[in-house]
Amino acid sequence: MKIIACYSNKGGVGKTAASVNLAHVFATSGRRVLLCDLDPQGASGFYFRMKPSKKLTEAGFFQDVEKFTGAIRGSDFDDLDVLPANARFRDFDIFLSRMRDDRSRLKKALKAVKGDYDVILLDCPPNITTLSENVFRAADVVLVPVIPTTLSQRTFDQLTDFFRDHDLPTKKLHAFFSMVQGIKILHGETMAAMREASPKRFLEARIPFASEVERMGVHRAPVTATAPASNAARAYRALHDELCDRIGP
Amino acid sequence: MSARDETNFHLPAEAMEALTTVPAGKLAPRLDPPARPLPFVLLDCFDQSLRRSGRLLIEAGDQLELLTADGRILTQAARRKGGFVADLADGPVKAALADLSPLRALLPLGTGEMRPATLSLVDDEGKTRARALLRLLTGTGGKETVVATLSGLRGYDKALDRLRAHLVACGGLGLAEGGLYRRLFVGHRPYQPKPAIAIGRKDRAIDVASDIIAAHIPVARANEPGIIADLDSEFLHDYRIALRKIRSVLSLFKGVYDPAQTDALKARFTALMAPTGRLRDLDVYLLERHRYDALLPEAMHGGLDRMFALFRQERHAAQAQLADHLRGTAYRAEIADLARLFETRKALRPGPNAARGAHDLACELIWKRYRKICRIAAELGPETPDGDIHALRIHCKKLRYLMEFFAPAFSEGRFAELIKPLKRLQDRLGLFNDFSVQQVSLRAFLAGLDKVPEAERLEIAQSAGALIMVLHQRQLEERDKVAGSFARFNSAKTQRLFRDLFRDGGEGT
Repeated sequence: MKIIACYSNKGGVGKTAASVNLAHVFATSGRRVLLCDLDPQGASGFYFRMKPSKKLTEAGFFQDVEKFTGAIRGSDFDDLDVLPANARFRDFDIFLSRMRDDRSRLKKALKAVKGDYDVILLDCPPNITTLSENVFRAADVVLVPVIPTTLSQRTFDQLTDFFRDHDLPTKKLHAFFSMVQGIKILHGETMAAMREASPKRFLEARIPFASEVERMGVHRAPVTATAPASNAARAYRALHDELCDRIGP
Repeated sequence: MSARDETNFHLPAEAMEALTTVPAGKLAPRLDPPARPLPFVLLDCFDQSLRRSGRLLIEAGDQLELLTADGRILTQAARRKGGFVADLADGPVKAALADLSPLRALLPLGTGEMRPATLSLVDDEGKTRARALLRLLTGTGGKETVVATLSGLRGYDKALDRLRAHLVACGGLGLAEGGLYRRLFVGHRPYQPKPAIAIGRKDRAIDVASDIIAAHIPVARANEPGIIADLDSEFLHDYRIALRKIRSVLSLFKGVYDPAQTDALKARFTALMAPTGRLRDLDVYLLERHRYDALLPEAMHGGLDRMFALFRQERHAAQAQLADHLRGTAYRAEIADLARLFETRKALRPGPNAARGAHDLACELIWKRYRKICRIAAELGPETPDGDIHALRIHCKKLRYLMEFFAPAFSEGRFAELIKPLKRLQDRLGLFNDFSVQQVSLRAFLAGLDKVPEAERLEIAQSAGALIMVLHQRQLEERDKVAGSFARFNSAKTQRLFRDLFRDGGEGT
């Protein structure tokens, strides 16, 4: 089982779109996926037409196996389940460590309903202090969308510093360029500079700034499902393939 | 299983209109347009054990598709070596069919065209809450029928219940009910090896006997095509059971028909059975091959191989001969004549017990038979001749038949309490008998080996001789167990039940 935390310390960078589309590509390529919607603003559940659950805000939610498993909802797509938003992040790291532990009650409960997952994708809120650093510790991959602008370079550096300061392995950080506009010279220059500064951290795949992605809010479904032949969908699939190469089976 | 617990349903095609337009509470039905039609073959055993257990097996393209009773649709490659589950390629469908009888072939029961589609219940956000995978099936010459398999989405259990209720409201029935195959395939007749025969306590004995016989002749006849086509060994087995039951009615319901006519009828049904015996014996040998292997050391398996090769040859000839016989005009005329006799009943001559009440006669016959069994069993000891044990076995068998024939005239629960221990006793006695019969037939087989080349004959004789020794040993072991088995069967409770139910003729009711 792999845990992928999709995270950006800056808002509006295409993080939720990446979570939603990646979750869909993972599921269609045969993995069982749980997408945890942890970002109250991003609302990846919205893209799966799910109503936010009001029941999940109690303390101890992630410690209560029945409450947790009962809150998971099947999406319209096979092998893709969603934990809707409104969950508090308290104890979330406990939940993650339990997902890793085959002997935990949580793991057993999921297996019992054939709901054990190959991939857990976390759509994280853009705030390091809220989301415990333990989540970073528990994740196999921290996937970071970066818009190729000067400002983004600064925020990415801040994140790398945070990892170093907290003894987190920076090799968990996997960044990709998001909302890329091919005609902007500045985008091209920034990407080249950032790749040079952190050569191992950036993936090759880049997600274009595309109207299909914008229209996800209208279709309320992943681009990879509604417009599988589009450039954006192709880019998400390339991102998925590259990620698979990096993290292994 | 009530429709409330079902996962697979079938509905007439006319139900599609309501199914896809009428809302289910706050949820709206939505149909994804059906895919293009593809030819299918429906597979099941002759006894329809798949449909009866709420499952459906379809071959379409080069795939097998199994609708399981718990609502999964399993698929695997259709290629296979033969007609039995064991012949399928390893895969999820094969695994999920492991409970089927290994003796029954999967037969194509019908063909047609299939269009897969999906029905969803969606909420006001357009989110799917529950789904049913539809198979729109049109049997060749039959009516279009919808088979729906519920498929829940995690966390939306209520919506799944809604969809189930929606299907039921639109006329959905479980696969085990409502004649799905009949609807799909014109002229399809379900096979029922144990026809239910209603018996009232006061019904005349002659009517009960004639009802049982009349119901079992079609059972035998239903198996004829399968024997002729050599589909699996169960056709012949069921054919023989049906005829044997008829013969038992004639011999056990004493005095129901005129004695001379009874004898004549017995002779006619015995004559029907006669040409089937050898093929059945050979079937049993071949099916039990692995047991023989286990009885002898591997060094002696060569002789067994040769012996079984001869059995297979002989079986081939015996099957062809029986098939010819069943296709022949003489046989057809005879069985049709017997069927007519018991349908019209005009030519049946009543005997002295004809007008007695079924319940009354049953009590007398069962009680007498039971007493006879107890008398033989009381004498059981190390000195008891084998013949007595065989007699005990035959009486037990007759007792069982009597009880099964008349069961509908008695209240169910207490009857079942007696049948179960009786079955167990019969199983033990059956083993004793099998070991002894097999020795006799092996000796007969050895005596007829003169046409086999010398060298082979020696090898076969060694293996067969060793087998006879082992079987004899087993027979002795079983013999020693008979007295104990009988004591376990004839507990104080069994004795009391037999007395209560049959001696006093009442049931305390």
